[in-house]
Amino acid sequence: MKFIIFTISAYLAGITYLLAAEAGMPQLDPKYWFSQGFWLIITFATLYLLISKLFIPKIKNNIDDRERKIKEDLEKAKSYKENSEIKNREYERVIEKSKKDIAKMINDSRKKLDKDIQIKKRSIEKQINDEIKKTENEIETLKKNSLPSIEKISEELTSKIIHEVTGEQLNQSSVKAIVSDVTKKNFNKNIS
Amino acid sequence: MAGNPMTQFEVYKIGPEIKFGNIDLSFTNSSLFMIISAAIICLFLYFSTKERKIIPGKLQLISEILFNFIAKMISDTAGSKAKPYFPFIFSLFVFVLLCNMVGMLPYSFTVTSHIIVTLIMALFIFFAVTIIGFLKHGFKYLSIFVPSGVPVVLLPLITVIEIISYLSRPVSLSVRLFANMMAGHTMLKVFGGFVISLGLLGGWLPLSFSVALTGLEILVAFLQAYVFAILTCIYLNDALNLHH
Repeated sequence: MKFIIFTISAYLAGITYLLAAEAGMPQLDPKYWFSQGFWLIITFATLYLLISKLFIPKIKNNIDDRERKIKEDLEKAKSYKENSEIKNREYERVIEKSKKDIAKMINDSRKKLDKDIQIKKRSIEKQINDEIKKTENEIETLKKNSLPSIEKISEELTSKIIHEVTGEQLNQSSVKAIVSDVTKKNFNKNIS
Repeated sequence: MAGNPMTQFEVYKIGPEIKFGNIDLSFTNSSLFMIISAAIICLFLYFSTKERKIIPGKLQLISEILFNFIAKMISDTAGSKAKPYFPFIFSLFVFVLLCNMVGMLPYSFTVTSHIIVTLIMALFIFFAVTIIGFLKHGFKYLSIFVPSGVPVVLLPLITVIEIISYLSRPVSLSVRLFANMMAGHTMLKVFGGFVISLGLLGGWLPLSFSVALTGLEILVAFLQAYVFAILTCIYLNDALNLHH
């Protein structure tokens, strides 16, 4: 019996000792447990409501806005790039075409110029030839015409000189024969 | 002050006594620091979302990094089905983080160093997750206790272990946070006491320890908030996506 009482009292003493040790840990003192729980629930519920209804939508909207803006900007940049590529191709095509045009134009004008020059050359040559022929003809006619008149002048001169030198009146026809003979000789000599 | 390292955890009444029947709901220093933490969060979020710019300012950037951090944490651990619970996880994380961080200030009170606070949060999460699991899957949710691919001989044992581990979730969740906070702060206090008792000659060593421990405690404060939030995500994942 004594042993049992001793054990129980020792057990109780142990419990009180443990409780005293626990009293050193204010966390295990239940005095303000309800208060802490109560205020925790109030504070956390308020915080949760504020965050979920007010702050998170704001942050989320802002992030979404930025993502949308970035996406839009990227799309815009892409379309601009495509546009510029199209424009660039068009520009290159125009340049290519105009280069070809210029080459063609140069070629054409050169050909035309050549042709013109040829035509001019030919016409000028023709003119020159004509002129030469004409002149030759003229010279020919002049030659032909000049011979009788030279003969006549020579006859007269001869008859006059003879008349002056000798005082004789020579036969007209003989003078003529002699002059024509001499002139013909000289003329042929000159010509050849 | 230098005497007992546990006095920093004492809860005392501030202002008048509020009683409902026999239940004491007085405003205490614990309640004060809860409200201070919540107020800091709200002020920060208010100022960081006040100006909504395409190119964010510093505060806005911090809030967006926080948002993306938690969003990524949830989508990585619990998948897209957990999206409706994003505000709750966000609030939980920032609240625990701020309570831990405010507790690091000298002469302040660490709300999360009280088992009752962490236990209430852990129990709420435990019951909420269990209710969500039963609402989503009905009685099939009980299959969480019966992992697939286990030999039939081992099945009774595994099931018992699974049930015990499931039921011990609120305890492990709450005790982890509470014990970390309490141990850290007690240690800081003990080293602080050494600085005083060893005086100018010998106090430098514990002082340097104290400085290093403060850094460590700030890390732990963040880490425990993160662990608390990510474990909540994992429990939520179990309830939302029945993998077994």
